Amino acid sequence: MSSSETTASAGAIRPRLRWGVPAYLLLVLAAMALAIVVPKTGYVLNISLQATTYAIAVLGLTVVLGLCGQINLAQAAFFGLGAYAVGIGQTEHGLNFWACLLIGTGVAAGFGALLGASTLRLGGHYLAMVTISFQQIVTLVLINWIPVTKGPDGVRAIPRPGFLADGSTYLAFCIAVLAAVGFLVWRLRDSRLGRAMRAVRDNELAAGVAGIDVYRTKVTAFALSAILGGVGGGLFAGGFSYVSPDQFSFAESVVFLTMVLLGGAASPVGAVIGTGLLILIPEWLRFLKSIPGLYLAIYGAAVILIMVFMPDGIWGFLRGRLDRLKRAVLPVRSGGALQLSGGGQGADTVLEVRGLSKHFGGLKAVDEVDLTIRRGGVHALIGPNGSGKTTTLNVLSGLYKATAGSIVLDGRDITNLPPHARTQAGLGRTFQNIRLWRSMTALENVMVGAERPGSPAGSDPAALMARARAALAFVELEDRADEVVASFSYGHQRAVEIARALAGDPALLLLDEPGAGLNSSEKVELRNLLKRISARGLTILIIDHDMTLVSEVAQHITVLNFGRRIADGYSADVLKHPDVIAAYLGAAPDVPA
Amino acid sequence: MHLTRRGFTTALAGTIAAPAVLRSAYAQGATVKIGMVMPMTGAAAESGSFAQTGAKIALEQVNKAGGVLGKPLELVYEDDQTTNPGAVLAFSKLASQSDIVAFLGSIRSTQMHAMAPDMLKAGKPVGFGGTDPNLTKLGNPWLFRFRPNDSYSGRVIAQYGAKELGKKKWAIVHSTDAFGTAGAKALEEALPDNGSTLALKQGYANQSQDFTPVVLAVRQSGADILGTYFTFETDLGIFARQLRQLGVNIPWVGSPSIVNVSALKLAGPALYNTFGVADYAEDSSDASKAFGKAYRDIRKVAPDNQSSWTYDAVTCLAMAMNKAGSTDPNKVREAMLAIRGHKGAEGEYNFDKNGDGLHGYNIVKNEKGEIKFDKRIDFPPNLG
Amino acid sequence: MDLVLQLLFTGIGIGSVYALVALGFVLIFRATNVVNFAQGEFSMVAAFLMVVFSVKIGLPYWVAFIIALICMAGLGAVFNLAVYYPLRHRTYLPVIISTIGASIFIANTTLAIHGPEPEVLSGWFDTPGFMLGPVYFDNQYVLIIVVTALLVALQYWFFEHTLLGKKLQATSQDKEMAALLGIPVAVMIMITFVYSAVIGGIAGILVAPVLFVSIGMGATIALKAFAATIIGGFGEVTGAIIGGLALGVIETFGAAYISVPYKDGFAFLVLIAFLIFRPQGIFGERVAEKA
Repeated sequence: MSSSETTASAGAIRPRLRWGVPAYLLLVLAAMALAIVVPKTGYVLNISLQATTYAIAVLGLTVVLGLCGQINLAQAAFFGLGAYAVGIGQTEHGLNFWACLLIGTGVAAGFGALLGASTLRLGGHYLAMVTISFQQIVTLVLINWIPVTKGPDGVRAIPRPGFLADGSTYLAFCIAVLAAVGFLVWRLRDSRLGRAMRAVRDNELAAGVAGIDVYRTKVTAFALSAILGGVGGGLFAGGFSYVSPDQFSFAESVVFLTMVLLGGAASPVGAVIGTGLLILIPEWLRFLKSIPGLYLAIYGAAVILIMVFMPDGIWGFLRGRLDRLKRAVLPVRSGGALQLSGGGQGADTVLEVRGLSKHFGGLKAVDEVDLTIRRGGVHALIGPNGSGKTTTLNVLSGLYKATAGSIVLDGRDITNLPPHARTQAGLGRTFQNIRLWRSMTALENVMVGAERPGSPAGSDPAALMARARAALAFVELEDRADEVVASFSYGHQRAVEIARALAGDPALLLLDEPGAGLNSSEKVELRNLLKRISARGLTILIIDHDMTLVSEVAQHITVLNFGRRIADGYSADVLKHPDVIAAYLGAAPDVPA
Repeated sequence: MHLTRRGFTTALAGTIAAPAVLRSAYAQGATVKIGMVMPMTGAAAESGSFAQTGAKIALEQVNKAGGVLGKPLELVYEDDQTTNPGAVLAFSKLASQSDIVAFLGSIRSTQMHAMAPDMLKAGKPVGFGGTDPNLTKLGNPWLFRFRPNDSYSGRVIAQYGAKELGKKKWAIVHSTDAFGTAGAKALEEALPDNGSTLALKQGYANQSQDFTPVVLAVRQSGADILGTYFTFETDLGIFARQLRQLGVNIPWVGSPSIVNVSALKLAGPALYNTFGVADYAEDSSDASKAFGKAYRDIRKVAPDNQSSWTYDAVTCLAMAMNKAGSTDPNKVREAMLAIRGHKGAEGEYNFDKNGDGLHGYNIVKNEKGEIKFDKRIDFPPNLG
Repeated sequence: MDLVLQLLFTGIGIGSVYALVALGFVLIFRATNVVNFAQGEFSMVAAFLMVVFSVKIGLPYWVAFIIALICMAGLGAVFNLAVYYPLRHRTYLPVIISTIGASIFIANTTLAIHGPEPEVLSGWFDTPGFMLGPVYFDNQYVLIIVVTALLVALQYWFFEHTLLGKKLQATSQDKEMAALLGIPVAVMIMITFVYSAVIGGIAGILVAPVLFVSIGMGATIALKAFAATIIGGFGEVTGAIIGGLALGVIETFGAAYISVPYKDGFAFLVLIAFLIFRPQGIFGERVAEKA
C-alpha cells in the first residue's frame, strides 16, 4: 500500500525509546486510574468498553493490512468467535473466563491461519471475497446452529471474572490489554517479522527473493490479526454480557476496516484514533436524528472525504505534519567494513546448470541451456532482446519453475526450491526494474537482506544493523541510511538493491541489467562497484546490454539466442565468435546453426 | 369547514397558550420524562416511525388530561439503528439521564435481551413489545410487556386452525431469527393439544430474494393449513405472491406481521382471505377503535401493533405514576403490577407477577385488503 | 421433474438478476481495477426514482423509465467525479473504502429523503405470469432473462464492433498505452461509470416488481452479484453472466434439496471452492506478475 510512504521516515530503531516506554506506561496507568476513579454513567461506560474492545480487534487489522498489506473483511467474524467462546464456554459449559478467552483466541487463530493459507494463490480482490465469504458463513452458522450457538437469541448473562465484576475495573483491565497489545504491535513493526511483513506488502516478489518466506509471513499476519480479533471479541462479550449473531455481521467487518483506514493503517496509534472516532462520530451525530438516515449519510460522506483528503488516515496526516517540523539528522555510526565470504572456500564451481528449459505453452523461452559458473570473477549472460536471459535468471532464482533440467548451487540441488529457500542456500539477486520496498528506509531494506538465515549477522539486532550499515557503506550510501528509498535517485536505488543482496552474504550474486537506465557517470560508479565486489571474492552473474560494461567487468561470457546457448567461454573469444556477431548484428550466420 | 365561534376562540387560546406553558415547563425542568429506544435508521426504520406516532398520541392525551403529577409528560427518543449494539448504546444513553423516570424498550426480542442487563442496572420501569416469552422470566423486575407473548400466539393460531377452520395438518414457515424460531416453536408445541399434526417446519433466512423452494416444500408436504412467522414485510410479500403463483391456496394463519400495513401494501391480493393473529385489531374494542381514529387523523393509514403497544405503554406508565403519586421506581412498579382490567388499544391489561400485561390475541381476517376483526381468544392469566 | 423444472426457471431468473448487476461490476472493474461496493445502491436508487416518476407523479411507464435512466447517468457521472476520480492514482484499497462510504451515503440519503417505507412498483405487464405445462413462468422473470440476454448481446456488439467500444477496451487493458494513442482516458472512465450506473439502474427497475423497492434491496443483491463476478472471472462479460446464472441455480437447488436457512452459505462455499481451485474464474485468464 502506497499510502504509508510518508510515515516510515522515523528511522529503524527509534531513539526516543529510552524515555518513551516509561512515559507510555505512565499514560496507560493514568488512563486506567481514570477509568476506575472517575464516576461514569452507564452510557459512558458502555461506549468506552465498546471503543476499547473494538480497538484491540482493529489493531489486528493494523498488522494484517497496515504491515502486511493483505485485506481482511472478516474481522467481525474473528471478533465473534472470541465473543461466542467467552459467552458459550462460560454459560453453557461452566468454563473459566480465561480458559474461554484462550479457546476463543485459539479458534480464531486457527481460522485466521486458514484464511491466510488461501493467500498462497490469491490476492487483492479475490482475497477480499474469500474473507467476505468466510464472514458470511460464520454469521449463518451462528444463526442456524442453534444447539451450539443458541441461534439468533444470542447468549445472555455472560459473567466476568470475580475481581473484574465491577464495570469500571473491567474497563481499566481492557485498557491495560489494549495498551499492551498496542505496544506489541508498535514494536512488531521494527522486528524481523514486522520488516518481513512490510517487505511483503511493498513488493512480494522481491521479498521472496530476499529470503523471506512470503507464504508463512502472510499466514502469520492473518493468524495474528485473528488472535487480536478474538481477544477483543472475548473482552467485548465480558463487557456487554450479551452476544448475538447480528453483532458480528459483514457490516461490522466493514466498520472495522473503515476504522483502521480512517485512523491510519500504518500505526497502532491510528487504529486507536480510528476506532475512537468511528464509535463517537455516530454518537455525536445523534442530534440529527429527527431525519432518519441523515447522520449515517453524513458518516458515509465523511468516509469518502477522509479517503480523498487524508490518504494515510488521520494519524498519517498528523505524522506528516510533525515530521516536517523535526527532521533532525541523526548521527550515523559506521558499521565498519563489509565482510563477504563469497560462499566460503568450496568447490571450484559455484553454479552448475544442466539442460535447463522453460516453456510457456508452445514457446521455448529457455531451451536446454547449460551453464557453469566458476568461483570468483564475473560471468556475463548476454544475448539479443527476447533471447531468454531474464527468463533464465527467473528460473535460477525460483520465480519460474523449470520445465526441465537441474540447478546445483555450491553442490546443493536447488531446482525445486521456492525463491526464499534459494536465497537461504546462498543466492542473491537484483531486478531489471528495481524492486525495493519503497515505503521502508534504505537501512530497513538492507536489514531484511542481512536477515537471511545463515548470514554472518545471525539474529542479533545490533549485529544485523551493523552489517546493514556496512553494506550501505560499501555502496557509499551510509549517510542516507535512514531515508525512505522512494525518494532516492534511480542510481542510488540500484545501489541499495545491490547492498540488500550483498548484506545476505550470498555465494552467487545475480544482477539483472544493473546498468539499465543509468547515466554515464552512474555507470562508471556501477563498474567500480562491481569491481570492488569482485575483488572481495564474490562471484557475479550479470545480464546486461551494455557491451562496454560487460567486456570491462566479465571474464566469462555465455551467449543466448532464441532460448539456446550459442556461445560460451572467455570474454575476448566469445565476443569474436561469428554466431555472436551475427546474432547481435542480425545478419544470417555463414553456417546453418 | 364548520367552526363555531366558541370553538375557534378556544382553539386560538390553546394555540397561543400551549407553547408558553410548555416553555415555562421546560425552563423549570418540570416535565416528567419517559425515554424511548426506537429504530430511526436501519432495516426497521419504518416501524420506528409508527411506534413514535403511537407514543405521541398517548403523550398528547396524557398531557391534555393534566399530565403526570401535575407536570407535562415528555418523550426522549434515541435511535437503536435496528442493531443490538445500537440498542445497548441508545438505552444506556437514556439511562444516563437521571431525570428520565421510565423507559420504552424495543419491539424486538433480541434487542431486549441485549439491553436487559443495563435495564436491570438502571432500576426503573421499562415497557416493551418484544414477544419472546423468556424476556419476562429473566428475573428482571423492571420489565413490563405490552404485547401478548409468543406462547399465546402459538396457542391461538393452533386453536383457531383446529376449532374454527377445522384443519389439523400444519405446515409452519418461519424466519430463523429469534422472533421466528420462538414463534414456530410455540406453535409446534401447541399442536398436540389441539389434536393437530406437523407436516412441515421450514425456516428461512431474513431478506431472502426468493421463496420458490419453500413454497414447493409446502406444496409437497400435503399440509392443509399454513402457519407462518415472518419478520420483514418484504419477505412476507415475496413469499405470499410466490405461494399464490405456484397454486398453494390452503388456509393461512400468520403471525402479526401478516396484517401490518406495509405487508398489505406490498403483497396486495396475495394476502386476501388470510388470517392473522393480531395483538391490535381496530374493531376488537372501543378503546382500539378510539386509538385507530386518533392514529388515522395523523398518519392517514390504519395503525398496527407497532404503534398500539407504545400508545398503551405510555398511557399505562403515566397512569401508574399518577396512581402511585410518585415517580419513585419501586412505587411505580407496584402500581404497574396492580393494573387490572385496563382497556388499552391492544386489549385488556392485567399484569401478572412476571410483567406480562396481555394474555390473548385477536384473530383477524384480510377481506380484500381490509382487516376485519374476527374473534378474540384470551387465556386466563396467572395473577398469583 | 416438474419440481426440477420449476426450480430451474426460478434459479435462472434470480441468477439473471445477479448477472445483470454483475455486468456493472465487471465494466467498472475492467476500466479501473476497482470493485465498486456501491453498485447495488445504483439499482436501489433507480427503483426509487421509478416509484417517484411512475407511481407518485404518474408519468407513463416508459417516460418514467427514460427519465430515471437519465438521472442514473447523472449519478454515475457524479459518482465518478466524487468517489473514484480523486483517488485514481492510489491503490485499490482507498478506492474500495471510498465506494463503501458512498454506499452508506447513497442508501441513507435515500432514506432521509424518501423515508423508510418499502414501495410497490408494478411491472411492464398486466398479468403476473403464465403456466407452461407444469411450470409457472413469472412474467417479470421472463422479462429479466430476456433483457439480460439482450444487454449482453448489445454489449458484445458495442465492444467488438464500434470505435468507442474498442477505445474503452483499450483503456481497460492498458491506460498508459491508450493515453499514448490519443484516447482520452478520463473520458473513457467517465463513460464507463455512467454506463454502469445505467445498467445497475435497469437491473433495479427490473427486479423491483419482484423484490419490492426498499432501501436495503441493493445491498443483498450486490453481494451475490459480486460473488457471481468472481466465479465468472473479472475479465469477461460472459463470465459474469455464467457466474450469475450458476449462482442462482446452485442457490435455488441447494435451498430446495439441502437447507433453506443455509441458502446464502452455498453461494459462498461454491465461491471459496472456486477461489481456491480456479482463482481465475470460469473464463478469466491468470495474470502472472512478471519479474
